[in-house]
Amino acid sequence: MSEDYNMTDPPPVADAPAGRDAPARAGRDAMATLRRAQQLVSDAQAAIEEASRVVGQGGGAGPAGGAEARLAVAESERLELTGRLAEVEHQVGRLMTLYVATYQLHATLDPAEVQSTIAEIVLNLIGAEQFVLLLIDDEDKGYEVRLMQGEANSRWEQTERYTGGDPLVDAALLDGGLRFGPTEESPALAVVPLRVQDLTMGALVILKLLDHKPAFVKEDHDLLDLLGAHAASAIFASRVYAKTARKLHTLESLIRLVNRG
Amino acid sequence: MNSVKNRKVLVVEDSRLIHKMYEVMLQPTTLLSAFNGLEALDKLSQSPDVDFIILDINMPKMTGLEFLAQVKTNPALAKIPVIIVSTDGKEEEVARGLQAGAVAYLRKPFQREDLLKIVNRIETRQSAA
Repeated sequence: MSEDYNMTDPPPVADAPAGRDAPARAGRDAMATLRRAQQLVSDAQAAIEEASRVVGQGGGAGPAGGAEARLAVAESERLELTGRLAEVEHQVGRLMTLYVATYQLHATLDPAEVQSTIAEIVLNLIGAEQFVLLLIDDEDKGYEVRLMQGEANSRWEQTERYTGGDPLVDAALLDGGLRFGPTEESPALAVVPLRVQDLTMGALVILKLLDHKPAFVKEDHDLLDLLGAHAASAIFASRVYAKTARKLHTLESLIRLVNRG
Repeated sequence: MNSVKNRKVLVVEDSRLIHKMYEVMLQPTTLLSAFNGLEALDKLSQSPDVDFIILDINMPKMTGLEFLAQVKTNPALAKIPVIIVSTDGKEEEVARGLQAGAVAYLRKPFQREDLLKIVNRIETRQSAA
């Protein structure tokens, strides 16, 4: 039989831990918690089986009544632990997602690949169909449209440089705060400023979600926060590396010329 | 409930990010990775003993549905369960994937629990068969 699964309404979860190493560290903690919870569920299951066995063997009303009470308690504990296990598993899945996003953002020093990873995260992990990536131009400090996914609305279609005009984007670029829309003046669903220390490197502007995703969920906020910090540092590192590599190449060419002369 | 046994799974997906995601989510499963349908057919010809296939739809060179059609017309491969995982979430796309022979269709973005539920059901059916 075929099945169709659609994830739009996951259960609420706790806030993401802060800090760059937090996803990996929290992932390890969550895995340990998951193992403990699995052990507790397994113990509860064993207790239920034992209680069932005792009830099955019980002759008189007294002992059997006591065993039934223990069985009811064990069953209640099992249900509670099963619920907690499901919560922990959900948490583990969420941390895995954050870990993979962070890992992949820092897996390359090629600026184009970093941008491509950002696009993959936004499409596949957040579920955005239309989005725009603005990045600062190192020379004139203006913002270039470096990536446009989906059929963006008319405001962005013919734009190569962002010169202002969308209040949500302008505010996010100005103060570095995450913004959610849409508003009367802005079609953006979310504007994620990409910040390294005090520098706003750019912004990710999400304009439309996939049709089967009606709204952002709790996990998306974690991912947007993560993108704000890690995408910016990955872009910054890749740009510095590319610049250094170019300078090195130029120096090597000069040295070769001098040696020939 | 949500453990994944050490099985061999072919992942056909053009995103490196999602390959990494499966690697983390499905450990300790052995994963064979392909980035398009053509590469996946090549992998299957070398290792036809995969337990199931996780398949994206939109890929270069050969799409997921084209790959699925090839798998289903090959008697040696036709019984391998295929799970489609795609950003295409329209009902007609889901129906098309299931009609083409996929056992399940999971929309991206997805949660680990949802993928593991499908995998567990496939494994249960395989052990019952």
